[in-house]
Amino acid sequence: MTSPQTPLIECRNVWKVFGARSAEAIAAIRQNGLGKREVLNDYNCVVGVHDASFTVGKGEIFCIMGLSGSGKSTLIRLLNRLIDPSLGEVLVKGRAINGLAKQDLRDLRAHTIGMVFQNVALIPTRTVLENAAFGLEVQGVAPAERRRIATDALTRVGLADWVQRYPRELSGGMQQRVGLARAIAADPEIILMDEPFSALDPLIRRQLQDEFRQLTKSLGKSAVFITHDLDEAIRIGDRIAIMKDGAMVQTGTAEDIVMNPADQYVADFVAGISRIHLVKAASVVMPVADFHAAPVADLARTGLDADIDALIHLVLASPHQAVAVAEGDTLRGVVTARTLLEGLKGDAAPAAHAAASGA
Amino acid sequence: MQRLPRTLRRAGHKMDQNVWIKAFDTAVDAAMVWLTDHGGAVFDFARAVLEGAFDGLLAGLMFLPFWAVALALGLLAARSLGWKFGAAAAAGMALCQAIGLWPETIETLCLVIISVLLAVLVGVPVGVLSGYSPRLTKALDPVLDLIQTLPPYIYLLPAIAFLGYGPATAIVATFIVAAPPVIRLSALGFRQTPVEFIELGEATGAKPLDAFLKIRVPFALPSVMAGINQSLMMAFGMVVIAGIVGSGGLGETIYGAIRKLDIALSVNAAIAIVVLTIILDRISQSIGPQSTDRTGDKP
Repeated sequence: MTSPQTPLIECRNVWKVFGARSAEAIAAIRQNGLGKREVLNDYNCVVGVHDASFTVGKGEIFCIMGLSGSGKSTLIRLLNRLIDPSLGEVLVKGRAINGLAKQDLRDLRAHTIGMVFQNVALIPTRTVLENAAFGLEVQGVAPAERRRIATDALTRVGLADWVQRYPRELSGGMQQRVGLARAIAADPEIILMDEPFSALDPLIRRQLQDEFRQLTKSLGKSAVFITHDLDEAIRIGDRIAIMKDGAMVQTGTAEDIVMNPADQYVADFVAGISRIHLVKAASVVMPVADFHAAPVADLARTGLDADIDALIHLVLASPHQAVAVAEGDTLRGVVTARTLLEGLKGDAAPAAHAAASGA
Repeated sequence: MQRLPRTLRRAGHKMDQNVWIKAFDTAVDAAMVWLTDHGGAVFDFARAVLEGAFDGLLAGLMFLPFWAVALALGLLAARSLGWKFGAAAAAGMALCQAIGLWPETIETLCLVIISVLLAVLVGVPVGVLSGYSPRLTKALDPVLDLIQTLPPYIYLLPAIAFLGYGPATAIVATFIVAAPPVIRLSALGFRQTPVEFIELGEATGAKPLDAFLKIRVPFALPSVMAGINQSLMMAFGMVVIAGIVGSGGLGETIYGAIRKLDIALSVNAAIAIVVLTIILDRISQSIGPQSTDRTGDKP
């Protein structure tokens, strides 16, 4: 997991309140610290985003997971100011975007922050190539140059043979690749992904998730990825934020969230998630002192971040059905078949779930 | 004036009402007189421009032999609608010549072209503004409703008062009838840009003009073209009615035939109108962005 060093995006206590009396509501929030429910009751205003604070580091893929109505689509639109926040500050590369002049904002959107939409938004009268080149075209890049860059971007997403076709001739998955190509053609540092894969069938979705992650990492881009699918968030995200009713309930790595859900809401969510791929040696060790089956020195050794496949392998290969976990030369504990099974079961998840999803 | 003493004998409120209406009528008449007195130069100029455009176009088309015009229309139709319709269009135009109504047919064509051109020149920009501004739409709607509800020959009256007897009056009245569909459907087209495409324009940092030309226009074009087609159809209806004010063309032929009860002539003129209407209707429907509607015809 990449840890954020220089935040590309920083949200500071951002609120978005919709409604006729949003100004009054905001004043009340500011003065009396009203919550979401009071705002709805007292001012008949809907809170879209409730005091969200987070940072997205360079090269990081940050997933925001929430059900419909949780405010995630509003939140992502605050990041490129398609929506203005009611309160709070959004900083991109250390610069507050709330006060940007129109031209500066256009430049920011053209060069720094790209966006991919849930329903792709390919212009039907344009070819795939012309669609991919759209961002460059409105930036005023010369035709030959933008064709070259757009062709390059389309090649990266595997659509080199489709440049002259029209969007309607492409499948949903291919259309979404064009959307992605259009975003990367403008070479932004950050790509905002607004539920891009949710309308696709599961196989294509999984394929695109992997491709997206690979592409983003190989190009060194950062991304904010909105999804309502926790599996998707875990597959794609370096860090995940769970949103509920406009507020961020928990932010952390996939492992943090699945292994240590912050509250019952998150726990219910992760209950159905297979832990298998999140289990690392560090999360399933037992103290060396509790291991009596054999001298620890006889056991094979592995690192703290050994994954489940490696651990199973080592445990099965061992005559004592155990493996020692070490950090450098220091022993950290022992993993046995039993600790592995307990780790997979987890505290929050009923055994049945883990078994079913592990199948 | 003669009615006034009689109404005076009636109940008080009834009298008030009639005095009211009388005052209104007097005001309207006075306004007309004032406008013709003070706006005379403007109306003369408008009339000169409209008649100049009409005479110029007419002279141009009449300068050509009938078969050249028929062939040109046939080719234009064939280009977008296939050779069968093209041949039928040319044959239809030849029929208008055969029944002895060629000059009238061309006059009607000129009236329609100029009126619809005016309707498009005014209607599309107004429609675009209205598509962007809900307030303008709110203000325009009752006006357009009124224009479309009144019987169309009403517009001949003020037109004839300001512009006199002749094609200029016919063109203005036809323009008034033809403009509302262009305005309404243009506005609709621009209002209906899907929200994700508007966001696309904003999120890519497109300047307002680019967002308009590259996103709004492609989405609005089919609706605008439908508006132009509707406007054309309204114009054909109106130019025939405008025969009463000496517009020339098939309308005047029909008006004359009705007065003389010349059934054969009115039927002939009606045939010519139908031929012309069908040709222009089909051609105008075929122009515009087809590629979005066709599906699966590319390899």
